[in-house]
Amino acid sequence: MKNGLALFLGVFAILGLSWAGLLLGAHKQLGSLGQIKDPVDDTLYPQPISGLADQGRLVYQDLGCVSCHTQQVRHEGFGADIERKWGSRGSYARDYIREKTVFIGQSRLGPDLRNVGGRLGDAATPDDYSDWFYKLLYAPQSVAPGTNMPPHAFLFEVHATAGRQISYQALKLTGKSAPATGYEVVPTARARALVAYLQSLKDTYDYPTERSLNASAPAEHAEEGGHK
Amino acid sequence: MNSTNPNDRAEQAEIDASAKWPVLVFFGSAILWLLLGGALQLIASIQLHTPDFLAACPWTTHGRIAPAAQNALVYGWGMNAAFAFGLWLMARLSCTTLRHGGWLFIAAKFWNVGVTLGVLGILGGYSTSFELLEMPRFVTLILLAAYALIGVWGVTTFGIRNTENVYASQWYLFGAAFWFPWLYAIAQIMLFKAPVRGVLQPIVNAWFVHGLYGLWFIPMALAAAYYFLPKILGKPIANYYLAPLAFWWLVGTTAFAGGSRLIGAPVPIWISTLGGAANFLLVVPVVVIALNLFGTLSGRYGALGNSVTLRFILISMVGFVLASAMNFALSIRGFAQVVQFTLLTDLRDWLIFYACFSTAMFGAAYFILPRLTGKEWRSSALVKAHIGTAALGVLLLTVGLAYAGWQQGHLLNDAAVKFGDITQALTFWFTFRSVGLGLLLVGHIAFLINFVWIACPFSSKGTASVEFAPPPTLNFSKKSATEGHA
Repeated sequence: MKNGLALFLGVFAILGLSWAGLLLGAHKQLGSLGQIKDPVDDTLYPQPISGLADQGRLVYQDLGCVSCHTQQVRHEGFGADIERKWGSRGSYARDYIREKTVFIGQSRLGPDLRNVGGRLGDAATPDDYSDWFYKLLYAPQSVAPGTNMPPHAFLFEVHATAGRQISYQALKLTGKSAPATGYEVVPTARARALVAYLQSLKDTYDYPTERSLNASAPAEHAEEGGHK
Repeated sequence: MNSTNPNDRAEQAEIDASAKWPVLVFFGSAILWLLLGGALQLIASIQLHTPDFLAACPWTTHGRIAPAAQNALVYGWGMNAAFAFGLWLMARLSCTTLRHGGWLFIAAKFWNVGVTLGVLGILGGYSTSFELLEMPRFVTLILLAAYALIGVWGVTTFGIRNTENVYASQWYLFGAAFWFPWLYAIAQIMLFKAPVRGVLQPIVNAWFVHGLYGLWFIPMALAAAYYFLPKILGKPIANYYLAPLAFWWLVGTTAFAGGSRLIGAPVPIWISTLGGAANFLLVVPVVVIALNLFGTLSGRYGALGNSVTLRFILISMVGFVLASAMNFALSIRGFAQVVQFTLLTDLRDWLIFYACFSTAMFGAAYFILPRLTGKEWRSSALVKAHIGTAALGVLLLTVGLAYAGWQQGHLLNDAAVKFGDITQALTFWFTFRSVGLGLLLVGHIAFLINFVWIACPFSSKGTASVEFAPPPTLNFSKKSATEGHA
């Protein structure tokens, strides 16, 4: 090869084509994806997340949670995400339009979090469930034995109760992780935002338009959307 | 330092002299980043089996240390080393001196200030959480401006070349120098300046990450292999006539392979299918390049004993083939279904970045630095320690992480196994990885010590007995250089 100009043009064309083909192509297909109005309950889905949860998204982003957690449920027949109860269905592209920043993630050193807000587990009420999250962040081993999630104690403050009544937000900790007598562990604003974000993570609505696109076998009753 | 008549073909000594200080500065910063990034990477790895390690401070929590380490290694070590090697090789192959070294100093300073701010930004909580684009937005302009100053001399040097033929290494260098700024700038614009919506973000991110590895780091490693093999062995590349085909095919398909990182993700199926198909098509250029490189080496394996550079290049070539095989395997749906999101996916990128690219840069440094400084490597024991730990580390980590990832994938796909049990089952492999990374770090420290000795202008001449085969001299009297033989 002797011609510098040909080299330049080839090199330019390769990047240009890949950008136009892959990114612009995808943008043309997905760029204007919008909410869908459910005909039965007259509501737009996916619903926007609350302001507090959106602040929590920034905490999730700055702490690098995405290093170990994905936020994508793979479809039935591809992996065991559904069997693991990480979601009742695979994720659709439309699920993500409500988020300013999308963290689908690359690593599952920790479990998938796409529907973590919808998994109550043993918790009886959502409040109990947020308490579970606080404990998980403060002392992971206390609620998830065997985990290697690092403790995020810096998201909490340890106060002396100094004879006052214990804060209603104080964590109900027992055993090794409990603070010394006369002290309480209270979540900071960042922790509260983060937990609000985690609890907002749930894709409960199944879109009638998407169901057939992504299911492993074509869905039979795909006329109407509805909650699962 | 420039020759009086710019059209004169510069002598090798003159070229090396013109490149000396820029190359030393870039390599020096690269090695410091290699150690710093390696240390951060080791901390992140230790945190996986000892979760309480440095967990009390938000600056050192795993979620920040891990991307900080990756960015320090990729932008600190990887880019600096590639600049040092790329500029030198471009000058050598273009038979012209490297001009305006002063600008390169300024550029090097800006680049390193940018990376420092970026890594501190990630640790301080300004991460964007996009893979390899985690550095805060304000760093982008510093890095792009610094890169413009560096890349422009690479391209200018190519533009004023005094050779008729353009050699294979030059195609790869020129291509990489062009692709990186575009990939980086487009990703920045589409993710931060005018962000695209929803899952388009991961698509842009995958396109960038795959491009950075496949269109910057791999071309750098191949440029090194195509140059050093014939140079040190004194024979042309075998089947060189196939090299242009391999080049165009390799880069043309790699550019479309980014979607293969999104198999099973909530994106249109054509994206991952296109990526997978591109990875399948990559078999042809990989085979051709292997024929070129291993064919040149065949029958001359005895020469490996005499040249550290050659041994590193051999590791790099093996790393290239392994990384390509891994890309291929991860595009097979049945395989991806098991090993996606496991340690094995990390291994793919590590193979490209460390086993293929970094070892090529080590080899290049062992060749270039004695020629630039006029000294020999002072301690051959440290050289042996470096190549020994690198070879052993690559072997151990490749085999270990491949097995661990396979096991992790099977456990993840068995819903009956609790998540905590998977973590417990992997604890041994996390520890194993820490040991492997620690081993590599020891080798890097040996490399740094030797580098300081050879680069320090006040130290005496080296005393090591590392042998370099005398390079075949370029025949300047004839205008037409033989194809395939720089």
